[in-house]
Amino acid sequence: MRVGGVPPTRVKATLRPQMSGAESRVGVGPLTKGHTHMHRKWGLAAAAAAAALALAACGGSSDGGDSSSSGGGGGEGDCPGADSFCIGLVTDTGKVDDKSFNQSAWEGALQAAQETGGYAKYIETVDPKDYENNINQFVQGGYDVIVTVGFLMGEATVTAAKANAGVAFIGVDQFQGEEVANLTGLVFNEDKAGYAAGYLAGLMTQTGKIGAVLGTDTVPPVVLFGEGYKAGALAANPAVDVTLVYHEPNNAFNDPEWGAAESKKQLEQGADIIFGAGGNTGNGALIEIAKAPGAGESTFCIGVDTDQFFTVPQAAKCLLTSAEKKLTLGTKDLIILAKDGKAPGGNFFGLTGLAPYHDTEAAVPDDVKKKVEEVIAGLDAGTIVTDVTLG
Amino acid sequence: MATTDPAQTDLGFTDPDPRRSGPLDRLPAIAIPVISVLLAFAIGGLLIWLQGVNPFRAYYVLFSSALGTPEGLLRVMEKSTPLILTGLAVTVGLRTGLFNIGAQGQLLVGAIGAAWAGYHFQLPMVVHLPFAIVFGMLCGAAWASIAGALRAYRHVSEVITTIMLNSIAIALVDYLASRPFKEPDQPISRTPLVADSATLPFFGPIPSGFILALLVAIFFGWFLVRTTQGFRFNTVGLNPSAARYAGIPVKGTILLAMAVSGGLAGLGGAVETLGITGRFEPAFNAGLGFDGITIALLARANPIATIPAALLVGTLRSGAATLQFQTGIEPEVVDVILAITLLFVSAPIVARLLFRKRNVKQTTVTSGWGS
Repeated sequence: MRVGGVPPTRVKATLRPQMSGAESRVGVGPLTKGHTHMHRKWGLAAAAAAAALALAACGGSSDGGDSSSSGGGGGEGDCPGADSFCIGLVTDTGKVDDKSFNQSAWEGALQAAQETGGYAKYIETVDPKDYENNINQFVQGGYDVIVTVGFLMGEATVTAAKANAGVAFIGVDQFQGEEVANLTGLVFNEDKAGYAAGYLAGLMTQTGKIGAVLGTDTVPPVVLFGEGYKAGALAANPAVDVTLVYHEPNNAFNDPEWGAAESKKQLEQGADIIFGAGGNTGNGALIEIAKAPGAGESTFCIGVDTDQFFTVPQAAKCLLTSAEKKLTLGTKDLIILAKDGKAPGGNFFGLTGLAPYHDTEAAVPDDVKKKVEEVIAGLDAGTIVTDVTLG
Repeated sequence: MATTDPAQTDLGFTDPDPRRSGPLDRLPAIAIPVISVLLAFAIGGLLIWLQGVNPFRAYYVLFSSALGTPEGLLRVMEKSTPLILTGLAVTVGLRTGLFNIGAQGQLLVGAIGAAWAGYHFQLPMVVHLPFAIVFGMLCGAAWASIAGALRAYRHVSEVITTIMLNSIAIALVDYLASRPFKEPDQPISRTPLVADSATLPFFGPIPSGFILALLVAIFFGWFLVRTTQGFRFNTVGLNPSAARYAGIPVKGTILLAMAVSGGLAGLGGAVETLGITGRFEPAFNAGLGFDGITIALLARANPIATIPAALLVGTLRSGAATLQFQTGIEPEVVDVILAITLLFVSAPIVARLLFRKRNVKQTTVTSGWGS
């Protein structure tokens, strides 16, 4: 077919390469045939450009829809005036509708804005090197309260708080090692929430085996959840077998495929209740369990941080409950305190609990429900301790 | 054979072949990148308009915040520095006919190498700083040499090996940052801060890393055009068979070019660590290596041209936060603009590659006389 495969002896005989009628070539041949070649080249470039335009347009419009639905993302940046109460929120890398921390904190800010008649705005962080810059946008805009989400922003928040004593800072999930007067760290006793979830799992398990798929063990809240879960399960059922598995630190909270694979493994090994705690990684586990046979009847999943019945509807079938950090409530309360200048420096412990049962309510026996309620009351009162420490 | 087939190596950067004439070849070389950028801005403006914001106002906010304030200018310089260096890394590779997609992995390895050299030793600055920088470069060079050796001596496509090495590098540096090199007593995966003696200083308002990147770009502009070794790189890129016939050691040159390319990417990582972030944290360096590919293609493999290309990207990235704050536009619009630019800049090259493959099959007829 192509002349390229021709052995050298034929070279001297055929100086002009063969041209099949269907295709033409620029090269050793009549120049007239080049015309078709140019058309084809432009056609390809035009097709590529059209595809790019179509793809870009699709990407652009969906982004616009997501941001406007949350509200507060548009309009002029600066705080409308010295009289208005302006709340600024800087997300960790991720979107404000991430069905997790960023979203919960933003909802708390919106609720606070509503109750105080204030104004709330967010900036989504794309690159961790931009933390200071994003916080400074709000500082320069004259905002009264700045909420930063996630413990990775801890250092940047402390620096900004020390540099701007007149602005109230709230660090969601940022444990304060030293107290800074205008910075409140909104923290939670994750081990208590995990304990309650584990207690429920220990009572509910039919196979005597339960599991947990967790983010990384380098993040203390995740470890507290996991160890609390284990402690609660053993307190309810000393014979229960608890398996905890942690993701590698890199990309720990955005690896749903790994979460799904690990939960599948644990199901195959006989676990019938699995706790998913690790952002999107945990969500992957929950969704996978919801697809398993017996989901919602003999096999259950437990969510984390917020009531995941609403944030991960694909998991609703198996979702027993979620080990909740009342983020939205805590953020809202602290912002309202900050408005009156009453937000305390240092750490503020928010409430934890278990989310309602939703679709799986019928599967939980009444005596189990009662016992779990007692345990939660005991944890809140301090009469029950989890005995979980980091180290 | 992969190494002797010009279709695999000549991407048409340095020698517009008169046989392959088309309308694009009659324009000056700068036209395609400029047209691509303008078209991308036009499309980006359309997307901004669809989100309900005046595109001219959006671009004004973007550029004025980046270039109109001292903090903005500083951010532009800081963000452009690694981009110049990774752009150079990919450029040097392209000139030698190599597609170094592994700049990201090489940058990461260089960054953590420099971080380790920076925090592990206590030396006077006049020794410590150059040592840390060079160590970072050598790490990047070594990483790229794996792909280089495979390409030179086993004809394994460097496109594949560098991509795979990227994944390995990401996992490797993540392991190092979260276990052996991890800063103790805190939960985040990162190295300790580098010593002051290993920190790149400022010359007034200008970070020395930026000046270093400019000097390196100028050096390579000179190197590729005026030196014997640079000539070897170019020739191997244009036609390895001719290079071999002229006595140039093709395999050694390919290996050296990949090492230099990796060294440049590693230098980008080192400067980023020692000058801007002060430590290595995996999330800090996301995407810089891949941006280098955009920069190199925008610059059409001309080292000096990587400077304006990197400055453009750095300006866009610097102003994105204020753009989001003042207009509510999603920050990703900047990435969309850059991606469209890359698409348009590469369209002629892709077209040339696709069509020239068939050309070569025709004209291989005439290479029979050599061997």
